[in-house]
Amino acid sequence: MTAPLPESNGKKYDLGFARWVYENVDGGDKLSMCMQCGACSGSCPIGTEMDHGPRKLFMMIRAGMKEDVLKSNTMFNCTSCYNCVVRCPRKVPVTYILQDLGRVAQRLGYAEAKETDNARFAKAFFWSTRKFGRTDERLFSAKYYLSFGVGEAIKMAKANMPVARSLMKAKRMHLGMPHKIKGVKELNAILDKAEEIEKREQGV
Amino acid sequence: MSKKYTYYPGCSSEGSGSHLDISLRAIAPKLGVELEDLNDWNCCGASVTHVEAGALPTAALSARNLANAQKQGNAEVVTSCAACYLKTHQTNEKVRDKPGFKDKINEALGAAGMSYDGELHVRHACEVIVNDVGLDKVREQVTKPLTGLKVAPYVGCQTVRPFAGTDRGGEYDTYDDPEFLDDFIEACGAEAVEYDAKTACCGGAVSLMSPDKTLGLMKKILDEAKEKQADVIATPCPLCQQNVEMYQAQVNEKFGTDHNIPVVFYSQLMAVAFGMDPDKDGCLDRNTISADVVKQKAGG
Repeated sequence: MTAPLPESNGKKYDLGFARWVYENVDGGDKLSMCMQCGACSGSCPIGTEMDHGPRKLFMMIRAGMKEDVLKSNTMFNCTSCYNCVVRCPRKVPVTYILQDLGRVAQRLGYAEAKETDNARFAKAFFWSTRKFGRTDERLFSAKYYLSFGVGEAIKMAKANMPVARSLMKAKRMHLGMPHKIKGVKELNAILDKAEEIEKREQGV
Repeated sequence: MSKKYTYYPGCSSEGSGSHLDISLRAIAPKLGVELEDLNDWNCCGASVTHVEAGALPTAALSARNLANAQKQGNAEVVTSCAACYLKTHQTNEKVRDKPGFKDKINEALGAAGMSYDGELHVRHACEVIVNDVGLDKVREQVTKPLTGLKVAPYVGCQTVRPFAGTDRGGEYDTYDDPEFLDDFIEACGAEAVEYDAKTACCGGAVSLMSPDKTLGLMKKILDEAKEKQADVIATPCPLCQQNVEMYQAQVNEKFGTDHNIPVVFYSQLMAVAFGMDPDKDGCLDRNTISADVVKQKAGG
């Protein structure tokens, strides 16, 4: 562990990237077990939204296609249904690998990653987690909409109004101050430390 | 005789999934299940935070809950939310089985003077009903059977995937064709229709961030329920419930369908079948598509 991601220096096929993924990405140690059967891509409910299915993406990782892998939208369309995980005959934890690769692409600053709906949504969601210790469905949604700019946020909020109104009527929208845990400070200390360890281990 | 569990309600219990939490708390005593709230519980990160926070900080969220549960003393943590179950179970399993993980997670917890030793059992409320309570006990509680109510048993993903086995390695159900929900429905006196979309994905959190990509997934779930003439769809998952209910108007708009089918939790069906107040306990007044058909069939 603990190797920084090597520079590819313009190489299209960089096996150093493949090795780095095996050693540093969550579940990556199982990637070499992949036999390219395609059970994952065939089981994926949302494969049509992905520019590469998981099977192909894994082959690209093996081939060291760092740029193509990290610019892929595959990781950000995963719904975390875990069909691929339970069906993989070689026990590759596909979902975990995609989830962590998505973070790596984001952290390395790839615009293709950072501008996805998923990355924006996760940012807003985690803001609520850190601020209150819980998910405030109203506030993080507002923050997510605002990540697209004020104009777009207003459009999105308007489109969502009928749903919001019906949830409010059904007493399923929390009104009033956000629920906040007592241990917010303690939770943030734990998260800071966990981020520090992850950075130490993964290098990104 | 009742058994005490530490209960982790999860964030949706305070908003969009309040009807799951309230109805579960209502039926629990009847099933001999005593739920003691997890002290100062926090968000599990669901299928979302990993992209922003990373795998270890996301696991640390569950670890803080587990550390607090350990202090609380009950040997079992039970949650009714699919995502809370997955994340908490996953972290628990990693602490126990993944080399080096326990040290890392305890280093993080140590920043707040906390620790977790990996000894607790994390369980889903449905699994507790299957294995600890038993269907006989569910049947015994039914005073107003939901006779003639046709229900599509929609389990969704994360209630059984990837953790359909209990964390003791015992039986719970299967990944692709789980039967516990059919059993619950029939124990309540209703009819569970054959339902191939049982473990189809509703899009999960992607439906919240980019519904355009997943309306087709929800259409499949709704189409089959309609084709099988189900009166209601029943589910254990708060996100499935919310997505499949609230996006029906958008599905109709996009595909020209005319779906208007209520989506309820198994615990709402049980509360009504147990003769409890259909609104106060069964929370039928919290469904945005009227689920009064459940009330009408009760005791009929």
